[in-house]
Amino acid sequence: MRLIHIGYLVYPLIIGLFLLSCVTKEEKLPIFGEREVEGTDTVYHTIAPFAFVDQDSSTITNDTFRDKIYVADFFFSTCRTICPIMKTQMLRVYEATQEMPDVLLLSHTIDPEYDTVALLHDFADRLGVESKRWHFVTGIKDSIYKIAQTSYFATAMDDKTEPDGFIHSGAFLLIDKQQRIRGKYDGTKEDDVNRLIVDIKRLRRESEK
Amino acid sequence: MLSKMYSQALYLITVVILMLSCSSQSGQQQDYSPKFQQYYVQGGVLYQKYCSNCHQNNGKGLARLYPPVDQSDFMANNFEEVVCIIKYGKQGPLLVNGIDFNMGMKGNPALTELEVAEIATYIYNTWSHKRGLADVKEVTQILSNCNN
Repeated sequence: MRLIHIGYLVYPLIIGLFLLSCVTKEEKLPIFGEREVEGTDTVYHTIAPFAFVDQDSSTITNDTFRDKIYVADFFFSTCRTICPIMKTQMLRVYEATQEMPDVLLLSHTIDPEYDTVALLHDFADRLGVESKRWHFVTGIKDSIYKIAQTSYFATAMDDKTEPDGFIHSGAFLLIDKQQRIRGKYDGTKEDDVNRLIVDIKRLRRESEK
Repeated sequence: MLSKMYSQALYLITVVILMLSCSSQSGQQQDYSPKFQQYYVQGGVLYQKYCSNCHQNNGKGLARLYPPVDQSDFMANNFEEVVCIIKYGKQGPLLVNGIDFNMGMKGNPALTELEVAEIATYIYNTWSHKRGLADVKEVTQILSNCNN
């Protein structure tokens, strides 16, 4: 009789401990780039101010992404190498974030001379995506290259020795609501993009707190 | 009794014949000759390298940007033009399955006639296509008459 009483006490305790171990705190995503300590605050690397024009001729700035999580990449419409794969993969991200109003996508062209607003409009329309959720932007070439290299740590430049005339990385960058880089993924690899989709959800949970 | 057995046997034979005829029609009209196999395998490698980025591994294309090379009325009706497009590309609008595509495709002028034949063999015998071998002789002839 006494034994049974102890069992009643011990088993729920063990089950309770198991349950607790399941809800351990989720690890936060890393914050990329240099950081400085100013007094008691840590200042992180953030995306520099920018102003580009999207496929609807709307001006797109950092303000467009205020209180939004976004995924950025660099491409050009006539590229036959990695860009079509990147767009196929970014379309998966677009579809996976359909029900997340605080998640946006930002694709910069690195060939603004060819990829005009009209062309980007046609491109996005053919891809079948909404311009309010996925901005395709163009602007001054040097500004695009500079923000790619110094803000997003992505490669983007002219290279006439390349078959299509440009070299650029196939990276997708995950940016948080404070404009900090929280993840870098290979936009040509399905597995890596799966990881990005998981990380977007993690980042949303983090910003809910 | 006997006639019933006969009719049952007849019925079974008919069913078997029907099944056989179906399988030979709907099954892939595979050409197992070494030549076809060589073209096909090499064509698959080249497709991966030159075509699949846009047209996708499954041949479905991408939205209204890149047309499919699987189910495609354009491919079914324009073998010769497709051979030309593989090497020389295509600009301007293109209607495929009633959808207008207009991204343009740059050519791959460095492809040899044999390589074009291999790619054509691959895309015309994969997914829904069962055209058979696209011989290099035929392809060379077509390529010499492209409007480029």
